[in-house]
Amino acid sequence: MSSLIGFSSLCFSSIISIIILIPNSITNIKIKSFLFLFRCSTLFVCISFLSLVFAYVSSDFSNFNVFQNSHSDKPLIYKITGAWGNHEGSILLWLSMISIYGFFYSLISKSLNDFKILVLKIQSSLFVIFAMFVIFTSNPFLVNSILVKEGLGLNPILQDPALAIHPPMLYLGYVGFSLVFSLAIASLLRNNNDQDWIIETRRWSMISWVFLTAGIALGSYWAYYELGWGGWWFWDPVENISLMPWITGLALVHSLIMIKGEQAIEKWVVFLAILCFSLSILGTFLVRSGILTSVHSFASDASRGLFILLIFFLTTGFGFLVFLIKSPTKKNKLHLLFINKTSALIINNILMIIAVLTILLGTIYPIIIEVLTNTRVSIGGPYFNSTVLPILLPGFLLMSVAPVLSWQTNKLQKFRIYVIFFIILSAIVSIQSYFTNFNTWGFIGLIIGSWIITASIISIFLRFKFSLSLHYVKIINSFIAHIGVGIMIIGITCSSIYQTEYNFNISVGDEINIDNGVLKFESIDITEEKNYQSLRAYFLLEKEGKLISYIKPGRNYYPVSKMITTEAGIYHDWSKDIYITLGNNNNNIWFVKIYINPLISFIWIGVFIMIFSSIIAIIKK
Amino acid sequence: MKKVTLLLPLILLITVCLFFLLFILFEKDPNNPPSVLLNKNLPLFSSVNLYNDKEYLASEDLKDKYTLINFFASWCAPCKAEHNLFFEIKKEIPDLFIFGISYKDKPSDSKKYLKQEGNPYSFVGVDQEGKIAFEFGVFGLPETYIINNKGKIIFKHAGALTKKIIDDEITKLF
Repeated sequence: MSSLIGFSSLCFSSIISIIILIPNSITNIKIKSFLFLFRCSTLFVCISFLSLVFAYVSSDFSNFNVFQNSHSDKPLIYKITGAWGNHEGSILLWLSMISIYGFFYSLISKSLNDFKILVLKIQSSLFVIFAMFVIFTSNPFLVNSILVKEGLGLNPILQDPALAIHPPMLYLGYVGFSLVFSLAIASLLRNNNDQDWIIETRRWSMISWVFLTAGIALGSYWAYYELGWGGWWFWDPVENISLMPWITGLALVHSLIMIKGEQAIEKWVVFLAILCFSLSILGTFLVRSGILTSVHSFASDASRGLFILLIFFLTTGFGFLVFLIKSPTKKNKLHLLFINKTSALIINNILMIIAVLTILLGTIYPIIIEVLTNTRVSIGGPYFNSTVLPILLPGFLLMSVAPVLSWQTNKLQKFRIYVIFFIILSAIVSIQSYFTNFNTWGFIGLIIGSWIITASIISIFLRFKFSLSLHYVKIINSFIAHIGVGIMIIGITCSSIYQTEYNFNISVGDEINIDNGVLKFESIDITEEKNYQSLRAYFLLEKEGKLISYIKPGRNYYPVSKMITTEAGIYHDWSKDIYITLGNNNNNIWFVKIYINPLISFIWIGVFIMIFSSIIAIIKK
Repeated sequence: MKKVTLLLPLILLITVCLFFLLFILFEKDPNNPPSVLLNKNLPLFSSVNLYNDKEYLASEDLKDKYTLINFFASWCAPCKAEHNLFFEIKKEIPDLFIFGISYKDKPSDSKKYLKQEGNPYSFVGVDQEGKIAFEFGVFGLPETYIINNKGKIIFKHAGALTKKIIDDEITKLF
């Protein structure tokens, strides 16, 4: 029943969206009824998605998708999240979001009616294209041809709270750029000179970017404690393709600030807006077609791949074509000086786009090579570390002072104070690296990170009088965001470069001296949980005779899918994580891997600050 | 000049899409991605005997003979489909060492399965956590590899073997 409701409301919603697309000269619809139709379409697609969720919750195995991906033993929360834990459901979620973004735009936007209708029409066309994709290649409402009592279960590695909300967050980010895309295209087609659309683009690109940031952070946090590889970023293709729209979105958000001072980069903003959404679709294409192999093992199907490739080509091609034909022709000169705000922002924009191209090259290079020479190569961390990081370095340096630069002059106020602090800071970091083991990247990372933080703090104190109010937070907001980045850079540097790894073969009762403390292997415990069997090793961490904490690494066994997942045991401390994974057991001797990850919490703190400051920026206006 | 820069994204887009298209169309069989291991040395591993947990078989032990490695499990239906073919291979190529690896399977289940279906393997190894399979880059069950007497992988097949594959490809190797 729910399948029927779901499918018919999906069809209704698509039909309404097609009706909306008929030119106004034929239908003569008034704005009120236009908006009503659009919102009806949103309502129907939401009903469609909710009926899929309902089918999952009620374990309705007459639905083929539920049968394949769910199991009645699963906890309720994972039944719900199971709805988007598979290809069909997740594309339906993507589709609903396109419509929901349009819905909220229609509510919030204060643009002229003509422009609003145009934006919503473009949004509807995107909706129709993706709806066709769902209906013809990825229908989640197919009825199961045989009568079954039990489902096949969800991939147990996905049964995790962080991962339950990771895909929706990521999708909110990706799909949010569809609205930015619609706004940009509408502004090109309209060819008007008013700047309203820029303010709206600013808001929506910021919102999408925040969701994308949260989605990526959740994903890497999940990878950190679930995959048991001791790290949180692996330059996996799926990670790379989420990073590309993220960096482009970052460039877009920054370019939009520039519009305040300059008019001439409208062209660039439009280009970035188109690029953001294209990269989002490209990501979906690469993941969903199964072209790239990665830790994200999704079901793949060539016809789906072709369809998404077509969507990607049409949407991006259309975007670039409109851009080519109707690109803004305003000829205001940019106010470029040796070092003013505009030039700093432009340099950073260029660097970010080069970084995106580098990542893109690394990600699709294996495909190009396989087509040309029929050999399979894989490109991993070393390529990205040695190309992307050096590209971003000068950007980070500029970033530290960019907010204090002036729009109109070359002067940096109180330049001397910055120099003095920079020298002091360099001395401190040099001494620090002299006494610990020196590492070039570690040195650079620490200097840049701490310099960004210090420079931002100096700027806050020099330029704004402190007051305890929201207004104060709003004006120092850009500095807060940059402090977040600085903290994150320190976290990344320390946790990756100063990470230490120990391997032990130990049995119950053994003690290990580690990191000025004693780690005691107390016991092994096997328990039956609702849908899995859990094996946990209990490690007791003691320092100077005092009990600090229990660390419980282990493994879960999921009988339905016969899969074993690693569960890392992590002891969090503000200064470091002690990260333990449990390996094989051989005659009661366990193989144990221990990582000490210094300052890894800084990464999450930094991301949190960045998100916080972006939210402030969204509500600022 | 201006127009050329504006054209650049379009040109780039078309090139990239073309490569993707070629990739999708030329992918002969999405179930059989070319193994990076083909013509490479056998990965290092060591596996315990299903029937005797004191006896091990390591990759070094396979260096001087032709070996067929087959990943299977009691829970895998296509494995059952190809199972009988191993008896035929054994008959046709008596010198071949057939090494079965039970992948992510309970030892008791594997034993039961081999009792029911018969045991064509010269040695049955256990890979309960999929570590050996990981070394081989196993995509799904069943998967079969053949290693020559110099320790090089000369054949790989993902999915159930068929009589045709054995006649057309495997027997030709000997």
